[in-house]
Amino acid sequence: MPFLAYIDPGSGSMLLQVLLAGALAVPFFFRRVIGDAWHRIRGGRGTTRPDDGAEDATSDR
Amino acid sequence: MAPRTPPAIADPPTVDPGSFRDPAGLVFRRDGTLYRQVHQAGAADWDVYRSSGLHDRLVADRLVVDHVEESLDLAASPGAVAVIRPRLVEMVSYPYEWSFSQLKEAALLTLDLQARALDVGMRLKDASAYNIQFDAGRPILIDTLSFEAAPPTEPWPAYRQFCEHFLAPLALMAHRDVRCGLMLREFIDGIPLDLAARLMPGRTRLNPGLLAHLHLHASAQRRAANEAPPAHDTPKQPRRVSAIGQRALLDSIRRTISGLRWRPRSHWAGYATTTSYSETATASKGSLVRGMLDAVGGATAWDLGANTGVYSALAADAGYKVVAWDQDAASVEAHWLQVRGDGRPSILPLVLDLANPSPAIGWALEERGSFLGRGEPDVVLALALVHHLAIGNNVPLAAIARLFARMARYAIVEFVPKDDPMTRRLLAARRDIFDSYTLDGFRADVAATHRIVREDRVDDSPRTLFLLERR
Repeated sequence: MPFLAYIDPGSGSMLLQVLLAGALAVPFFFRRVIGDAWHRIRGGRGTTRPDDGAEDATSDR
Repeated sequence: MAPRTPPAIADPPTVDPGSFRDPAGLVFRRDGTLYRQVHQAGAADWDVYRSSGLHDRLVADRLVVDHVEESLDLAASPGAVAVIRPRLVEMVSYPYEWSFSQLKEAALLTLDLQARALDVGMRLKDASAYNIQFDAGRPILIDTLSFEAAPPTEPWPAYRQFCEHFLAPLALMAHRDVRCGLMLREFIDGIPLDLAARLMPGRTRLNPGLLAHLHLHASAQRRAANEAPPAHDTPKQPRRVSAIGQRALLDSIRRTISGLRWRPRSHWAGYATTTSYSETATASKGSLVRGMLDAVGGATAWDLGANTGVYSALAADAGYKVVAWDQDAASVEAHWLQVRGDGRPSILPLVLDLANPSPAIGWALEERGSFLGRGEPDVVLALALVHHLAIGNNVPLAAIARLFARMARYAIVEFVPKDDPMTRRLLAARRDIFDSYTLDGFRADVAATHRIVREDRVDDSPRTLFLLERR
């Protein structure tokens, strides 16, 4: 890696983010936005994320 | 906090040696008080952070430390736009001293803060694990200058840092060996992703989150490093993500972190239930330790070799704030989960090998303090510890006493003689070279550094408890 010390080491990370954000946006949209709307229609509480719960660092334990 | 009268400025400020990277501000001390200064370069972001209500909401939810705004006259350097006095956390600890769940909670907090910042058109400009501390039993952000205003279509500049400070060590701890967390002591900027990817088991490529954020991330970095540098006058190509893509990425990282689990298996975590103590001896030791803690009448205690924290709890019940150190990651993990479950915010379990404690690290060895430089408790507890240091590590008793004397005025020490089953076990496979390891030898060896305030034999046990006071 001849240029390792002289380049922005984050450039690969930034490019990967762009690719991942593009790939993840559609499934995320369906899971979160459509899923929440479906929950609301069925009388659920909307933004509840079933996978978070116990792992949520911001919940007041 | 009580209102302060305008302070008389006596001493020149001393800039915190770990505070030099951020162009938006710095941390300094003046007359022993810790302040944070916002430079002109950070003024606009500081305004948005406060005017958006983000700071107030994060403080109300105890996710960021609160502060008091102070006079600009206190600034450490010219051009300050704000000076704040942050509320101090009780004990500064570092990621290489955290158990798996502590590091994971700090990671999830960082992601939650990023999500909350995105809600108001801001973001975390860095994701350093050193920006998080444990305060009253939960993680909290101490760097109030971490937020900057940014369009939601810009990639997160702290993504790489987050993966190196949190994802890589957590993934290695969960999938390779929990002791990989100690690598953070060597790599102050987080574990390099190429190294983490090489150390991870191959099967982790089947985990979509680890494949994307760790393995592909390492490849992307390697690829970028091998590219020829751009010509000097080439304009930077701005990279863009969609706002929902930004959220999707954050959601993916969060799921990846949440999915990392570690189930401890350790000899030590079950130690408290497998000791040689009878019920009588346990009750006797408990009441003797409590009596000594009450005699000291202090406010802070460090429990060395705390295991899963039986005597840390006893000290907490006696009104002490306790830092419970143990070298065994499984014991600290069990202790932390228990402290969390019981709601005992006055105890902070941390990982430490007393025979090789956390050194000072970083630039000029000043960025992160050593174990001994992080405060002086009123008393150290060394219960069922000295025989491990003396016979397990060959440390002379006098050297152990000198360490206790450096740490605190008082020490509560349990002497476990050679005829105790646990010491016999330590000696079973080795030659006994410890002629002076006797009760009389102990008394003689501590005499240079300590006065024996109390000495009590534990009922139904060959062990003796000492309350020592530094000379």
